[in-house]
Amino acid sequence: MTSMIDSSRRRVLVGALGAAALAPLSALSFAATSRPGDARFVFVILRGGLDGLYAVPAIGDPDFAAARGPLAQYEQAPLTLSGPFALHPNLAQMHAMYGGGELAVLHAVGLPYRDRSHFDAQQVLESGGVRPYEIGTGWLARALAPTSTKSIALSTAVPLVLRGPGVVDTWAPSALSDPGADLVARLAQMYANDPALATALERARALHLGAGMPPEMAGADTMGEAGKNKRYGNFGVLAQRAAEFLAQSGGPQVAVLEIGGWDSHANEANPNGALANGLRQLDGGLAALREGLLPSGTWNRTVVLVATEFGREVAVNGTLGTDHGTGGAAFVLGGAVQGGRVIADWPGLAKRDRYEGRDLRITTDLRAVIKSVLADHLQVATSALDSAVFPGSAGSAKLLLLKA
Amino acid sequence: MNSASSLQAAIAAHRFGLGEASLAVAGSDPRGWLDAQIGPADAPRGDGLLNTAQALDHVAAEREKRREAKNPPPGMTAEQVLAGHYREVITADIRSRMLTAALTTRPFAERLQWFWSNHFTVSLAKGSTRGLVGAFERDAIRPNIAGSFESLLVASTTHPAMLRYLDNSQSAGPHSTIVARAARRAERLGEGPRITGLNENLAREVLELHTLGAEAARSGQYTQRDVTAFAAVLTGWRVALLDDDRSRLFDPLWHEPGSKTVLGKTYPAGPEALRQVLHDLAVHPATAHFIATKLARHFVADAPPPALVDRLASTYLKNSTQLAPVYRELIRSPEAWNAQPAKLKTPEEFVISSARMLGLDRRSIDRADAGGVFALGQRVQAAPSPAGWSDRADDWLGPDAVWKRVEWSTRVASRLGSSIDARVLAAQSLGPLLEPQTATQLERAADGPQALALLLMAPEFQRR
Repeated sequence: MTSMIDSSRRRVLVGALGAAALAPLSALSFAATSRPGDARFVFVILRGGLDGLYAVPAIGDPDFAAARGPLAQYEQAPLTLSGPFALHPNLAQMHAMYGGGELAVLHAVGLPYRDRSHFDAQQVLESGGVRPYEIGTGWLARALAPTSTKSIALSTAVPLVLRGPGVVDTWAPSALSDPGADLVARLAQMYANDPALATALERARALHLGAGMPPEMAGADTMGEAGKNKRYGNFGVLAQRAAEFLAQSGGPQVAVLEIGGWDSHANEANPNGALANGLRQLDGGLAALREGLLPSGTWNRTVVLVATEFGREVAVNGTLGTDHGTGGAAFVLGGAVQGGRVIADWPGLAKRDRYEGRDLRITTDLRAVIKSVLADHLQVATSALDSAVFPGSAGSAKLLLLKA
Repeated sequence: MNSASSLQAAIAAHRFGLGEASLAVAGSDPRGWLDAQIGPADAPRGDGLLNTAQALDHVAAEREKRREAKNPPPGMTAEQVLAGHYREVITADIRSRMLTAALTTRPFAERLQWFWSNHFTVSLAKGSTRGLVGAFERDAIRPNIAGSFESLLVASTTHPAMLRYLDNSQSAGPHSTIVARAARRAERLGEGPRITGLNENLAREVLELHTLGAEAARSGQYTQRDVTAFAAVLTGWRVALLDDDRSRLFDPLWHEPGSKTVLGKTYPAGPEALRQVLHDLAVHPATAHFIATKLARHFVADAPPPALVDRLASTYLKNSTQLAPVYRELIRSPEAWNAQPAKLKTPEEFVISSARMLGLDRRSIDRADAGGVFALGQRVQAAPSPAGWSDRADDWLGPDAVWKRVEWSTRVASRLGSSIDARVLAAQSLGPLLEPQTATQLERAADGPQALALLLMAPEFQRR
């Protein structure tokens, strides 16, 4: 692992991005997993705009302390990564995965959308479009459609990223009692002329009452199950359940999880505040996912991508928080990932280096990251990635993210 | 009642209202029934409700208690000092919201109050709004739903709950007196200043979510520059919890001096500028289009007919943002009376319309209530973001969401199904909307509870 610092450009090229462009083609062909259908992919959406510079501070950047002011101060020391980078102290388990070569950190990454609206940016993040609302389905749904790959959303509703031609399962913890199979059969008849309700009911029935499901997963006892896992928090419960679904043979290959609360407009660095708790939850949830997938060997065939709709303004705002920005951080982890690296074409933090003088400049297209995972891990054809999945993204740099 | 007017009564009761046990209430002139409801929302029902000033006093007192809890008086534990907290206020607020909706005789007005409370979302998802959301709905929204949009916008933007929810209470003009003072104090003490400048949150969301809409940003009708300038206009509008006079919402010490240019127009320094900017935003054609689209989406279809949106928008502009003429145009529009229901109920709509159809009394509503809605995926008064709850079926129609509705219906029906004839109730409540295959399933049901669960889950009751 080398980092290069080109002082004349004040840029740090860390890890594989620079090298990827030069990678021999033969390296790409070894990325395939052993058998089609074995690979598992998890997409974690951080809703609200994670401050990438707070989660992954560039403590070794000469402008960092001045640019971030009070947000450069951490109660405990950040956990060092390669180059100028470090991880927030609440991400200790992710740091351990980094040390074990299972987690790669991406920085100065972002979407083609730059206008700082949560709702538009999330639409772009999930639709895979260039502009908000030009596409009404999700990139993951379009990527999975040709192979009818099974997917599940660990939420009550199907998030946009999974909406599209295929059917998607959803699962969320329930506090209510289970309806009888007879009632469900009658409902199905009643929904003969309402395909949307009929489909949703049938998918839910298969998940809750269906065969081939371990009994503890097919029922209403889930709140109790969830209660046993307090140490991971709510997100941890979802992650754990996702691992159970993904570890089944014949189960879903792809899962989507969401965690909100990243919109840190005020008192961002409060060690007991929303952001600190969010990072703790994220860290615990990803560790729970790993633990759940390790025993069956599934973790070795898993790639997890964690991304948010935008980063935040570099400078602190008037309320010790940060307002909406553009460039930020993302994480790729899993047993199949070539981790232990920070992948960033670092733009620097001086005001002149910032996008519109305020945000971390985006130097890596998040779509290129996603496309590389979809191509090398889920074997989605490049032609499809450049057209149906991410229209208008042809020619984006390829990143080598997986173990050869 | 002839069959055409009985279909209209069913649509009026379910699509525009919140469901009824019998269509007789909508009478032989359903449009007239709706028209007569246009006006301020009913006085809220329920006990223990605080007005805005009382709610602020309570928040201030809670803060004081928390401070004391760090050094509890002799003989008291910290928990004893903190006992009570916000739970009572929040429970009373949510109960009142559900009880008022379940029992009102003006369900169209109540639905409009829900619509505007969601448009101007203030959510318990953020700690700073604790104890204030109910007062916001009661004082800023309820009285104003049939006045002008402009007055609604002013009431919402300057309400303490909104100022706290979207961080404006902490936003200071970079050149304001308070920032200069904070800098001097910090220098004296040798630490970083606590108050330094703008927080753009409220400015951005007023533009994007309350007035011009995100579409206007996408088409370049406003930019980051406008957001920053509007944030400067908003500085000084804040809640001073520690002041004796908490009704004073503008503090000149926090205000950014000098004029500001928003959307190409220059406004002077001072508190009056906010009203001027809000006026100009309210009468902006992009706002008219955005509001018209949201209203049409709420009442007609997830993707509303463009001709209807255009008519509503031009009515809005012609009437200086007065909302009553817009509502009248809506209930006059043939697009709104399509027999096929296009809208899926949200969990809150589903629970409240069930309570109304089942004629639940006050005690049962308290039991059926907020916990049920929460379990169905919607925490009352706690939307996940300032955009509020989605008004699109896709967001409520996941398999798990439908499954939880089935579970909830099963539970309600197991309690009430043996004393209610679902077949009779279906005919009285849904009238001509009742589809033959639903009627067949109700006839064939194994028992009363099963029949009632089927009725609650029937497509014509899940949709409106």
